[in-house]
Amino acid sequence: MHDLNVVDLSRLQFALTALYHYLFVPLTLGLSMLLAAMETVYVVTRKPIYRQMTQFWGKLFLINFALGVATGLTMEFEFGTNWSFYSSFVGDIFGAPLAIEGLMAFFMESTFVGLMAFGWERLRPGQHLAVTYLVALGSNLSALWILVANAFMQSPVGAHFNPATMRMELSSLPALIFNHDAQAKFVHTSIAGFVTAAIFVTGVSAFYLLRKRHVDLARRSFRMAALFGVLATIGVITLGDALGFVGAQAQPTKLAAMEALWTTEKAPMPFNLVAFPSQSEQTNHGTLQVPYALSLLVTHSLDGSVPGVDQLEKDAVRRIHDGIPAVTALKTLSANPSDATALQQFKAHEKDLGYGFLLERYAPDVTQATPAQVNQAARDTIPAVAPVFWSFRVMVAMGLAMLAFFVMAVIYTMRNNVQDKRWFLKLAVWMIPVPFLANEAGWLVAELGRQPWTVYEMLPTWMSASTHSLGYMIFSITGFVLLYTVFIVVEMYLMVRAIRTGPGTSPGFGEDARLNPAPEA
Amino acid sequence: MKTFLLFLLYMVLAVLVILMAILLGNSGAWYFAWLVGTTMIVLIAAAGASLLDTQDEHAAQGATHGDSP
Amino acid sequence: MDLYAALQITWWLLLGVLLIGLATMVGMDMGVGTILRYVGRTDLQRRVALNTIGPHWDGNQVWFVLGGGAVFAAFPLIYATAFSGFYVVMLLLLWSMIMRPLGFEYRSKMSSRAWRETWDWALFVSGFVPMVVFGAAFGNLFLGAPFHFEWNLTSVYTGSFLSLLNPFAILCGLLSVSLSAFMGASMLMLRAEGAIHQRARTLARGASILAVVLFAIGGVWVRSLRGFVLTAAPAPGTAQTPLQQSVDVASGAWLHNFIGHPLLWLVPVLGFAGMLGGHLAATRGRSLWAWWLGATAWAGVIGTAGVALFPFLLPSSAVPAQSLTVWNASSSQMTLSWMLGFALVFVPLIIWYTSWAFYVMRGTVRGEHVASDEHAY
Repeated sequence: MHDLNVVDLSRLQFALTALYHYLFVPLTLGLSMLLAAMETVYVVTRKPIYRQMTQFWGKLFLINFALGVATGLTMEFEFGTNWSFYSSFVGDIFGAPLAIEGLMAFFMESTFVGLMAFGWERLRPGQHLAVTYLVALGSNLSALWILVANAFMQSPVGAHFNPATMRMELSSLPALIFNHDAQAKFVHTSIAGFVTAAIFVTGVSAFYLLRKRHVDLARRSFRMAALFGVLATIGVITLGDALGFVGAQAQPTKLAAMEALWTTEKAPMPFNLVAFPSQSEQTNHGTLQVPYALSLLVTHSLDGSVPGVDQLEKDAVRRIHDGIPAVTALKTLSANPSDATALQQFKAHEKDLGYGFLLERYAPDVTQATPAQVNQAARDTIPAVAPVFWSFRVMVAMGLAMLAFFVMAVIYTMRNNVQDKRWFLKLAVWMIPVPFLANEAGWLVAELGRQPWTVYEMLPTWMSASTHSLGYMIFSITGFVLLYTVFIVVEMYLMVRAIRTGPGTSPGFGEDARLNPAPEA
Repeated sequence: MKTFLLFLLYMVLAVLVILMAILLGNSGAWYFAWLVGTTMIVLIAAAGASLLDTQDEHAAQGATHGDSP
Repeated sequence: MDLYAALQITWWLLLGVLLIGLATMVGMDMGVGTILRYVGRTDLQRRVALNTIGPHWDGNQVWFVLGGGAVFAAFPLIYATAFSGFYVVMLLLLWSMIMRPLGFEYRSKMSSRAWRETWDWALFVSGFVPMVVFGAAFGNLFLGAPFHFEWNLTSVYTGSFLSLLNPFAILCGLLSVSLSAFMGASMLMLRAEGAIHQRARTLARGASILAVVLFAIGGVWVRSLRGFVLTAAPAPGTAQTPLQQSVDVASGAWLHNFIGHPLLWLVPVLGFAGMLGGHLAATRGRSLWAWWLGATAWAGVIGTAGVALFPFLLPSSAVPAQSLTVWNASSSQMTLSWMLGFALVFVPLIIWYTSWAFYVMRGTVRGEHVASDEHAY
């Protein structure tokens, strides 16, 4: 059986490594696309400044890319090492997009990134431009397949449970790929990466403009990134709305947590702008509400309504009771796959199997479950409200702040006087951390809001983890924390150094002559 | 001959784009939106840079013009 | 044989192809890392060595990612059971591997000697450790791993981490390291000149002989190992779990496939031929031949393991009846079909553009180029 401390530590480790990985990925997604845009201008106009721009930002891209690749390996390992039951239970479905990602996207991105860095002298400009575009396309396609896989966890479509193999199996790959959650989430995430890169480039360019260094490069980079950023931010916000709309139908418990909806209210529902949710009392303290807004936001109409926690827990109790015969039938089938009565019983209650599993946490023999245990399991179906509620608001506030920033940036850069607005340039430098925080907050909303499930309404998190000892988990978390801390210090140091050195020469380039005094005799 | 082959190549590409747009527009509207939107974002950013060059050239011309009596 | 069983066999073969691709391409880069400090005595020599694979290591590494992804997609139970069971070893593999991208990308960005020395050691560790683990993992497949399943297929691992580092596994690990060092050395022979080329050649000759010896010892050793025999199980190509079969354990049973089908002896012969041929080619300075013969050796070695174990993929030493086979650990027919379609389209495409990338970056890497190229590692 599972040690629940181990499950919590597994969650902690996955969250830490995923959040860390996700510091580098969005910049890769966006900066690769921005590099392609810069190089396009170079190939069309053949002005050397654009080649210099592409190479300079390309250097920063690679420093970031290396850590993204390195920490991405961790993610691929962790499904197997720490979530082994999850991996065998849904591997038939979940493994496919990951393998396709490797075949279609990651290979392309990684093979061409080598040519992008090393091929400047060996490829014709048009060829090199194509290579850069393939890197950008490859990294974004990678994101597509990862998010197709993730969307299955949020909204499991295109799959069914097969009692003969005791796992979920694929029913339709197109259904998996065109999952509404996957579509909205891919576009939202990919363009959030564009925004991240745009803020990064405007911020670093502003740093140069403030010091009147590399002004030609900085002004052009600022202009491109500002236009890139304002359009991308509009896209992110649009898709954020789409994602909320999709999520409201697919994951009502996540929505209830995001909005701290403890009681089901009649339409038109107000939006909690500020609230201090209390999980134990199931109520909010000190709320500040905007009337009608929630109905408009999540149902796009004034008479739409979504269930609150009270209603959702009632539904959960009903489904848990229905899940009990599903679990008992499955146990019989495990020992004797040809038991026809058990199979019939299972088919009748199949859709609530996940709720039965949820109860197993409190009542290992589900047939003996007490009403208190059922209620406990039902309460589990509501994610931790306060962190989801606040992460969501932090993300939205930062998104709106970035929109305002970019609109202003476009005005100044189109008037061609941004270099004179010192206050705005300082602001631009301070904006650099904002998209990174917004990205992390977005991850928290999506994945904390999914709890208590790894696969929504199908597989609870507590069952999904590997059956490790506590010692193993402490060992691995310690190892990750030590290694990752060293890595981020090194990366930040090299990044800052490369920015301070500026375009033209590589940091460290030409300095190593003293390390290579004389050729070997 | 070379022009004709290029014409053929681009025609085939155009037909492929139309087919993809029809298929994606039907079942994957947001994916389609990403393709169109990303292309637009990249091109507008690129155009913005070219515009800056033009603005600079005009400014330089204006400056020399203004200096002359 | 019905379609599902055919797909299972196909994916078993494809997995073999991916593992050979992984061993050849990633193994080559890791071999360069392993021997970096030996072939490169000065900083510039080490930079030359790194830049021979500089444009390719990242693409090559995807063979590893894809290998993992393919196991996940085609044999999820193997992925789940092996990765969680071998937890500590997997973490050591992972932690050593994630130093590699940073070693390449960050090493030459600072000129401090201590900085570069540190990264050179990191590159050594990230070349040596993963290849030991890769080989040792194969070794442990022959011995079986101590795991069993609960009623709902939750896998429970009952062994300790140290039991994975047994003599037979270490032998396989060393075989893997020597083949990887051989591949790395032949790449350096191909793309570098002068002292680096000479040292790489010496190393390639030694590594190939070591590989022959280790492979031969392994072959003899397997005769006395306890092998697994599937005595009763649902037919291949039917949906099943590992809870429905019975398995016998017998000394020397891993040779049954070879005895039953003598043609299969050609697979280990191919391995020996690759190693000996590689040795000859290295001696004569035929670098490209050495590289391809090294790849052949890998194909022979991995093929030998696959053929010996078939249909087993991951035997259980704790409860042999719950051993994982090609038939009970694979994905569903639909997933295998879709994945086969994707593989048929994309693997040739990958090979094509990877070859193009090698073609673009062809030629000898020289010290003066590296020193004057600001993009170089």
